[in-house]
Amino acid sequence: MLKNIFSKGRRLAGIGSIAAALVAAAPAMAQDKEPIVFGGSIPLSGVFAFAGVHLHAGLTDYTTWINSEGGINGHPVKYVMEDTGYEVDRSVAAFKKITGSNTVPVYYGDSTGFMKTIASELNSRGTTLMSGASFATALTDNEQYPYQFVPGPNYTQMFGIILEYIATQGKDGKKPTVAFVYSDTEFGKDPIANGKAKAAEMGIEVVEEIVTKPGSVDVSAEVLKMRRARPDFVVFHGYVLSPINEFMVQMRQMGLDTQFMGTFWSTDKLIINKMGADADGYMGVMPYNYYDSAEGGPMLDALRATAEKSDPEAGYRPTGYMQGWFNAMVWTEVIKRTMDAGKELTAENMAESLASIKDWDTGGIIGIPVTVKDMSFPVGRIWRVNAKEGRYEPVSDWIHLD
Amino acid sequence: MDWLFFGEISLAGLAMGGLYALIGLGFVIIYKATRVINFAIGEIMMFAAYLFLAFAGGMEMSPWVALPLAVLGGSVLGGVIEKVMIRPMLGESSISVVMVTIGIASILVGLVEMVWGADPQLLPGFLPRKPVFIGEMYLAPKIAYGFLIGAAVLIVYLLYFRFSRGGVALRATASDQAAAYSMGINVRRVFNLAWVFGSLAASLAGVLVAATGGLSPQFGAIGLSVLVVVIVGGLDSIVGALIAGVFIGWLETVAGAYLGGEYRMPATFAVLAVILVLRPYGLFGTHEIERV
Repeated sequence: MLKNIFSKGRRLAGIGSIAAALVAAAPAMAQDKEPIVFGGSIPLSGVFAFAGVHLHAGLTDYTTWINSEGGINGHPVKYVMEDTGYEVDRSVAAFKKITGSNTVPVYYGDSTGFMKTIASELNSRGTTLMSGASFATALTDNEQYPYQFVPGPNYTQMFGIILEYIATQGKDGKKPTVAFVYSDTEFGKDPIANGKAKAAEMGIEVVEEIVTKPGSVDVSAEVLKMRRARPDFVVFHGYVLSPINEFMVQMRQMGLDTQFMGTFWSTDKLIINKMGADADGYMGVMPYNYYDSAEGGPMLDALRATAEKSDPEAGYRPTGYMQGWFNAMVWTEVIKRTMDAGKELTAENMAESLASIKDWDTGGIIGIPVTVKDMSFPVGRIWRVNAKEGRYEPVSDWIHLD
Repeated sequence: MDWLFFGEISLAGLAMGGLYALIGLGFVIIYKATRVINFAIGEIMMFAAYLFLAFAGGMEMSPWVALPLAVLGGSVLGGVIEKVMIRPMLGESSISVVMVTIGIASILVGLVEMVWGADPQLLPGFLPRKPVFIGEMYLAPKIAYGFLIGAAVLIVYLLYFRFSRGGVALRATASDQAAAYSMGINVRRVFNLAWVFGSLAASLAGVLVAATGGLSPQFGAIGLSVLVVVIVGGLDSIVGALIAGVFIGWLETVAGAYLGGEYRMPATFAVLAVILVLRPYGLFGTHEIERV
């Protein structure tokens, strides 16, 4: 009974993963070559812990899997992480501690704030390539952040993919109208200016733009503005759940037939699990296939098998898990390419290897071959909630931005 | 000027302000009786909302049973906090007591993360979903019914403090602790009662606000934002909390609607700054208040 009470809506996949992390290095030690260290500042607690436990599980399980495959060119992989509480100073301290006692060619950063803060040190060290939880547009500026990349499209590119989809949904030769709703945070504001410019370029009118506080807020006044603007589409950014649910429910109560869309962090099962039938029809851009999608492929199958083995009780693995796994996959590819070219594992050499990725087959994690552009993977697909089935279903082809 | 829009925005703001007033009442009751600014009030709200989630979601009780149970749970928590952690601090500096309440807030966040996890949550729906129209003006049903429940409790509180023995004892203690003690009032019990009643108001507001905007371990931050309300109204004034709560709710909403969401907080803090300059003790507060 108690378990039933407390487990409602609770995800503790991380516990299994922590245990897995402790044993992940064990088989690696059996191999002869020097281990390659994946470092990470991981938000297992704090405001981002809901995703952090899954990112960590994805990284941990990938490490287990790659070691079972013989490591990277025979080098075992060791995953070393610290919990940061999603606080920049703790992330920096973790970075210094981990890189101080290990040679760390690749590192997971838990936030845009941390990745920006550590950039100058990363640039001067020249030893480590970094990616992480952030899809911030700024991090794909090669001049300022030459040794950082995002493991998918950046937020501006996500808006680009969403707008490409919206542009195809017009009727009688007219383009649909759109409203942007975003949180009053660096995360929320990231793609807005570029998104408005892109919409104007595509002939899509932005009829309303609403800024809210993040998280638990009353949005009834903002919904009244939507009632007057009557957009065909609302695109949310900078949220995980609330207040997306309130906009959807209240706008539908008003009889509006608006469609609702979101970006990576608000396009997971959480929306379906918490909103139930109200989530039906919600759409979002996602660069990876969902864990429970009908898609397949050798790497996606390996991911599912490893996840099932590491924690048979966990069931569905959220998009954070996919993101953690994909990050580690990219690191592996980059390290392998650098080693195969006979080069040292320096940040510059690895950044070059990353930039050389062209038409890369990700084994089903992403549905089409991908090419790196400006330290990002500008690809994604629009998925729509089928509340009855309790999952997302694709409603567009894969869209690879040029 | 679209007067219908202005009316609708104002209604939404006033209704939200009603909930702010309820949270403000939680602050004021505790401060008035004990002179403790309870920085854990938001976390007590959060804890009650999670209790509601456990009762109505996990145990699948009727929300109308879960609501009073959750509110009761929150108020018992307030009473326990007073008895176990605040009472031993009697006579210590006010800064020390404030730090204890901040510590309690952190403990409650950790406890909630351990028990319910860090995922954002939505409470099971329990308020009617049919849109509310006042004339031609639309009001979101959750806000409208939340306001009605909050207003009903506020009226009960005001009547209690005006006419009941407990209410008189609390007012007497707030006016002069030594005199109240010499007249046979059990001052320690009044302190405990103030924490119970303050936490009860906050707990109810917690469930109603979480029903509108969702719930997460960071939900308690809303309690701090309501601190503006009680400083504007006067830290020891129940009437001040009510009026300032409604006014700040209205101002925030109107500023958000006409200037943009990023101006909600600057608008309220501008009012706070002006009030602090003109009346440092708040609109209805007592002059002798010492600020920390």
